[in-house]
Amino acid sequence: MTTAHAAGVAEGTATIVLGGRITASTVAPIWRAALETLSRNPDHPIRVDAAKLEYVDSTGIAFLFDLRRRERSQGAEVQIENLAPNLAALINAWDPADFAQTYRRPPAIGIAEHVGRSTGQVLAEIQNMIAFLGECTAAMGRALRGRDPIRWGDVVAVATEAGANAVPIVLLVGFLMGVIIAFQTALVAQKFGAVIFVVDGVGIAMLRELGPLMTAIVFAGRTGAAFAAQIGTQKVNEEVNAIITFGLPPVRFLVVPRLLAAALVVPLLAVLANIIGVFGGALVMLTFDIGFLQYYSELLRAVDATDLILGLVKAIVFGFVIAAIGCRRGLATGAGAAAVGRSATSTVVASIVWIVVLDGLFAVLTSRLNL
Amino acid sequence: MSAATTTGRPPAISVRDLAIGYGERVLLKDASFDVHRGEILVILGGSGSGKSSLMKNLIGLYRPLAGEMLIDGQSIVTARGDTRAHLQRKLGIMYQSGALFGSLTTLENVRFPLDEFTDLGLAEKNLTARMLLRQVEMAHAESLMPAELSGGMLKRAGIARAMALGADILMLDEPSAGLDPITAANLDRTILSLRANLGFTFVVVTHELTSIFTIADRAVMLDPRSRSIIAEGKPAELRDHSSDPRVRQFFNRQPDAITPKLET
Repeated sequence: MTTAHAAGVAEGTATIVLGGRITASTVAPIWRAALETLSRNPDHPIRVDAAKLEYVDSTGIAFLFDLRRRERSQGAEVQIENLAPNLAALINAWDPADFAQTYRRPPAIGIAEHVGRSTGQVLAEIQNMIAFLGECTAAMGRALRGRDPIRWGDVVAVATEAGANAVPIVLLVGFLMGVIIAFQTALVAQKFGAVIFVVDGVGIAMLRELGPLMTAIVFAGRTGAAFAAQIGTQKVNEEVNAIITFGLPPVRFLVVPRLLAAALVVPLLAVLANIIGVFGGALVMLTFDIGFLQYYSELLRAVDATDLILGLVKAIVFGFVIAAIGCRRGLATGAGAAAVGRSATSTVVASIVWIVVLDGLFAVLTSRLNL
Repeated sequence: MSAATTTGRPPAISVRDLAIGYGERVLLKDASFDVHRGEILVILGGSGSGKSSLMKNLIGLYRPLAGEMLIDGQSIVTARGDTRAHLQRKLGIMYQSGALFGSLTTLENVRFPLDEFTDLGLAEKNLTARMLLRQVEMAHAESLMPAELSGGMLKRAGIARAMALGADILMLDEPSAGLDPITAANLDRTILSLRANLGFTFVVVTHELTSIFTIADRAVMLDPRSRSIIAEGKPAELRDHSSDPRVRQFFNRQPDAITPKLET
């Protein structure tokens, strides 16, 4: 039977008595007390009696070695006595010189270096993104001209997951956008007796801006991140390397189907968002005494095909860019599970930034072209 | 540990009538064997025979379909909460890929269990961790991140981490798979010296024949077709004297007989 009582430290004559089992769970107080004994008796020799020691584990061995390796003045050395020969051999096998240096975590980089590195990374990322967009466009061009076969099976699978399964969330967000805009603007317009023009506002805002924009944001969070995670995992599992070593370009296999699916699906979702948003607006306007018929005729007067088409062009561009960012981040994934998470997160952030920037560009462009 | 008295203690691990699997799929049934203290037991078998799954059941990650597993005489199947965690801490586990935490350096990985479960000061924990790393010949890599380590180094660091909490049963999942012969031989030597010096009990899952003959005291062989243990004994005896052709085929590294279908 093994006893589990902790080893005692008897002090006074500068003797440390160790007994029982010294393991990871019992060693801490013993170690502390022993070091205290050592520091309280800097000029006395220390006798460590290990006769009653039954068992030590790795931490126990480290403890005994730590006692033995302590630098003491002459005549005040630590003597470990009555230690079982096999344990003594284990402890004497260690050389204190090997542990002279204290362990230091590799230092974190300084602010200047951090700024420099980040700037370099951002510049490199911009360069890579431009090159990647070029590569994607070329691959899409080849695919659409029939030079490369398009993997329609993949396109349909991605479109189903990214499109059909996203319908409920897009409907919900679109509906609420319509309701909110209508309600907020109607409250103000009511003061000027101009409630009817809220219909114009809702129609134009949904078709030109909010339909495509909100769809794109939902798409970035839902699908862009998924693209990055899927391709990132394939990268980590060396599936991407397997594709490359078959002599196949990963862009054609992994990226083109996703780009196509995204460019097809985002405008479709945007149309749904438009319809439901306008419908949400109509419901709100009922409470301001504007019936469905009146709403409908005012809507037809306010918006035309240009608004719808402009919104759809935006949606196509957004879809393409989000899918490209997701795929690019996926392919650039580093090693390890954490890298996949980072790729997914950075996809969402980069996508939203790009959506807003592109939306701004569209606004400038359409005002210049009087669209 | 060498100074420990072993008389009267139950076997390190005792497995009785164990059945494991996933849902409807049974991987292994009616398995019974003991792991004695201080021995190196190898669980072997072809790919898909359930070696790794058996180990994951032994360490309590999965629940077996039926049967009993005793660690130090206590059931890990029925244990819950603290008792279960206490039993699991008696086992040091090295996963196939090392499973080091990517955000910590090698030394911090080894120190991790000490950080979590002991009140030791930082200097003492660092000393213990460095001694453990030295035992697996990894002292030079203490401040490297796992992403900077090779496969063999990851495995050795994994063993050091498994030993950190004073577990006296070490379970190694495919320690030599994917390693070059020299690194694999070094790892075998490390295992043997840990057993000789510190009295560890080892359960090693592997199908590397060289490694089996070097380190194993006893082997338990699983067979994917009959989904059972088909042999138990010293590897050399199994190779030379087993009456079971499947066992002799495995140890002598012979291919399956070519089926007539392939010849036509």
